[in-house]
Amino acid sequence: MEIIRTEDLTYTYPISSKPAFRDVSITIDKGEFVLLTGPSGCGKTTLCRCFNGLIPHFYSGKLEGEIMVAGLRVPDHPIHELAQHVGLVFQNPENQLFALSVEKDVAFGLENLGLPRDEIRERVDWALKVTGIYDLKDRAPYELSGGQQQRVAIASILAMRPEVIVLDEPTSFLDPLGAQKIFEVIDRLNKRLGITIILVEHRLDLASKYADRVIIMNEGRVVLNGRPRDVFISDEAQLVGVGIPKATMLYKLLRENGIELGRVPITAEEASQMIREALTHDRG
Amino acid sequence: MNMFDGFRFRRVSSPIHDMDPRVKFLYVLVIFAAAVLFDQLLPLLVLFVAQMPLILVAGVKRECMRSMRGSSLFAVIIFATNMLSLYLYSGGGYGSIPSIIERSLAMTFRFMVLVESFSIFFLTTSPDHLGLALEQSGVPFDLCFAFTTAIRFVPVMAEEAQTIIDAQKARGLELERGNFIRRVKNYVPVLIPLLVNSIRRSLELAEAMESRAWGASPKRTNLYVLKMKRSDYYMIITSLIILVLAAYIRLYISIPSIYELLSA
Repeated sequence: MEIIRTEDLTYTYPISSKPAFRDVSITIDKGEFVLLTGPSGCGKTTLCRCFNGLIPHFYSGKLEGEIMVAGLRVPDHPIHELAQHVGLVFQNPENQLFALSVEKDVAFGLENLGLPRDEIRERVDWALKVTGIYDLKDRAPYELSGGQQQRVAIASILAMRPEVIVLDEPTSFLDPLGAQKIFEVIDRLNKRLGITIILVEHRLDLASKYADRVIIMNEGRVVLNGRPRDVFISDEAQLVGVGIPKATMLYKLLRENGIELGRVPITAEEASQMIREALTHDRG
Repeated sequence: MNMFDGFRFRRVSSPIHDMDPRVKFLYVLVIFAAAVLFDQLLPLLVLFVAQMPLILVAGVKRECMRSMRGSSLFAVIIFATNMLSLYLYSGGGYGSIPSIIERSLAMTFRFMVLVESFSIFFLTTSPDHLGLALEQSGVPFDLCFAFTTAIRFVPVMAEEAQTIIDAQKARGLELERGNFIRRVKNYVPVLIPLLVNSIRRSLELAEAMESRAWGASPKRTNLYVLKMKRSDYYMIITSLIILVLAAYIRLYISIPSIYELLSA
């Protein structure tokens, strides 16, 4: 069942003459884990802003084409209504936490919705536990590491129980270990809670293994859209200049030299497994 | 950034910290009123000393000393101007030098009593509690939110300012050079990036707020509610007794000056 559909979506920022992206037609199904990537300035952040209505409601400008999210036509519904279906996590964790304690921050969205206090309490505790930061609930945001702050941001979105969570480069301020932890949390939300994930990310080496689908954008257009293996192996992906996983690059190099591994690997583990298989096969 | 340490409120628990901020504010107002009622040294000294147990119970002795030291310059100025003006206009009853000194000291202590009570209030009330108190006193949520968010971002901005200062220094900016006006001008290359960053930050904040259903419901709930405890009622009663007592003493009892007591 589809949860997001865009048809020939084109958007131009108010002061700009050139569209930030044009003719984007994608469909995302419920429960999918989609990895959205592309070089800087390709329009992926702008596209994310459309999913919860920041475009066209917060940013004016010209939006053409159709966009439906959770059965709602985005231009017809206010952000606060769309925000209950689509949660957006931003790049800089520092600028999306407002309160002086973690617990209060996670409650912020729910307070805005005017939910009864007992329900807020219950949902906040639940979200803190799912993201593994229950122990931090009384801390102030500036006492936390970047990775912890980003998990607070995810928890505060999660508490609103959206069907879709969009994460716009959530790990770009984090070290690899912090990033890894964030990906694990996101994967848990997807696999265990069935939440649809759209992850904008440059660290494909770490993130690819979780994704069901990869969409690559370049210069405001969707250039590739499909299963991670199919996308990464294509020559176009390399031309666009996204950081194709090293395991896939190795596969391509080996193939150019006449060594066929059989399947396309995405992670280092997969690649080493396949090479080991190929070697034992050769010897036998 | 030591000067911003005050904004990093440490969560401590003490009978004073746990008190309802509204009750604490009432207390500050009562002390304020009492300090204004009296202009003799003796009652003001009593007020000053009587608040010390509160500081000790709250465990904020060091912080309190720091804010008193910070206001000592003002205290000296108050003392000096009072001395000077009383000496120049010594008509009335303030003829002799000792009584002029006593009166000037009284004015100084009036100021110190205010500093003391405000310190107790701000050192023992978390910004979160303060925001909550404002909210429950009927201040519109937008304003309360602006207030708590401002406090939340002080450490962040301080850190950012330091980063910009370091970056500009690395590019050859000399902050400590020249006369006063020159030095103020030296800060322009620090202030401009700081300002631009703040504007960008505020936009990002607004986006994040919108994404969390800001303004979804006209009737916003709050996770926490301030509730008066038994100890809070005791504190209200104590405050009111202080007020009534102060008014009574002021009206019906003549207060001897310390100079008279000593010379008698």
